[in-house]
Amino acid sequence: MMDAFRAVFWSFFGVRKKKEYDKDAKTLSPQAVIAAGIVSTLLFVLALLALVKFITR
Amino acid sequence: MSAAVPAHDSAHHDDHAHAHPTGLTRWLFTTNHKDIGTLYLFFALAMFFLGGSMALAMRAELFQPGLQYLNPEFFNSLTTVHGLVMVFGAIMPAWVGFANWLIPMQIGAADMAFPRMNNWSFWLVVPAAILLVASFFVPGGAAASGWTLYPPLIIQQGISIDMTILAVHILGASSIMGSINIITTILNLRAPGMTLMKMPLFVWTWLITAYLLIAVMPVLAGAVTMLLTDRHFGTSFFNAAGGGDPTMFMHIFWFFGHPEVYIMILPAFGVVSAIIPAFARKPLFGYASMVYATASIALLSFIVWGHHMFTVGMPAAGNLFFMYATMLIAVPTGVKIFNWIATMWQGSMTFETPMLFSIGFLCLFTIGGFSGLVLAVVPVDITLHNTYYVVAHFHYVLVSGALFALFAGAYFWLPKFTGNMYNESLGKLHFWLSVIGFNIAFFPQHFLGLAGMPRRIPDYALQFAEWNMWSSIGAFVFGFSQLLFLYNVIECIRSNRKAADNPWEGADTLEWTHLPSPAPYHTFETAPVVK
Repeated sequence: MMDAFRAVFWSFFGVRKKKEYDKDAKTLSPQAVIAAGIVSTLLFVLALLALVKFITR
Repeated sequence: MSAAVPAHDSAHHDDHAHAHPTGLTRWLFTTNHKDIGTLYLFFALAMFFLGGSMALAMRAELFQPGLQYLNPEFFNSLTTVHGLVMVFGAIMPAWVGFANWLIPMQIGAADMAFPRMNNWSFWLVVPAAILLVASFFVPGGAAASGWTLYPPLIIQQGISIDMTILAVHILGASSIMGSINIITTILNLRAPGMTLMKMPLFVWTWLITAYLLIAVMPVLAGAVTMLLTDRHFGTSFFNAAGGGDPTMFMHIFWFFGHPEVYIMILPAFGVVSAIIPAFARKPLFGYASMVYATASIALLSFIVWGHHMFTVGMPAAGNLFFMYATMLIAVPTGVKIFNWIATMWQGSMTFETPMLFSIGFLCLFTIGGFSGLVLAVVPVDITLHNTYYVVAHFHYVLVSGALFALFAGAYFWLPKFTGNMYNESLGKLHFWLSVIGFNIAFFPQHFLGLAGMPRRIPDYALQFAEWNMWSSIGAFVFGFSQLLFLYNVIECIRSNRKAADNPWEGADTLEWTHLPSPAPYHTFETAPVVK
């Protein structure tokens, strides 16, 4: 599962090493990537909210 | 990409085996993905000229200050229906047309998964377009609140609003059915060996776009249904006097509206990702990162809608959140731009019309992206909101973004669609007139916006006269040069300049490597095996 989160993290940046990508393609299931993508988006929203909270405190 | 079956096997043996209807009934009852693709493309072209004529009417009025040709109410209707027709009638159906033509051929499928529903999806858009156009002729004139249909203005107008709401509903139903069809086709009908990560990027971008459509079209349907009940059934969703809130409409509308921008632009990314490698004669740089970036853009598109409404009085924390999220969505988009440039780097490039339009897309869409970043900054947006700067920004995104990619795709696949080559010189002339006309029309609108000229007005103060004159001149050059495209398409269909099966040296997807030109009526009845 951590591998799926790692792949999604790099996808937010939009870049992935060829070697790592080949490994992902062999080991990750689409379901795991989709789940990690949705959870990561929620975490991303929470992180932005925390930043906003910190700035407007 | 290579396949185990010999080229052209399974491709054209069945062409005359069973007759299909001809004439009008062929088009009315067709379940063939290519026929339906053609219908969508011609429909979109017709709507493009209709919406373009409305734009030229507005630019004629704005050529000089003062009211010349149009009364202000009609001008407002033109602004509104121009937006609706271009978004829902031209750009979206054109992409669905390409999807219908290309997705089955690019994944090695015989047709779309639900051919009858495919027919129904297309024939729904026609009554919707008729409703929109007919709304000009009812008492009170067509919708005049802008394409965003904001209440309370939209609540106050006549029956044309109900026609517009019905049109939006029908178009939404059509889009949802089209999306279900596309997703099912891609996930279930791929040829053996065509794994997800071997799919051409156009297929990937459409898969993600289809999910976006399914997610947001019902939201738009909900919003316009609430408008309808506010108008006729005594509800007060958006009526402050009854305890409702007009800004709630804006939130719901833009929760649909921002992913909608990506619905129009993601397939453009797919087309450009097919064309640039073909004419640079190099594989696409960073295929996997392109797929990842597309998925990220799609997810992030759901959390940036508030940047359309920085001025409505959201709390500072809300404004900051949407500002940060909007700026960050530029990161995966920027990665795509870098990947396309890296694909061209040290490539053996030639500059036929599809490549010219793709490079035009790359340069001008980047300008649109940057002006989007400018508008993402809250204090700047508070000054520029509702000015011509915004008009310039989204035309750089949607015209030189989506439309230029549509032209690139049309020129690229015309030989496969028709079996004939288009006129290259005419195509290049079309490109140069378009790119020059477009920039003269829309670049000065940045200056007008910075100087404070509001959008959606038929008359303006004298200090805006000069750039408006230039903008109108550019718009007419751009508008009339599109007739060259129309001529080129018709001439190509009727000409005898036979195209090779693969006229582009670097094109390597299944439709080029395994099918003759023109692509036969039935293709891939036996699926190719992709290695």
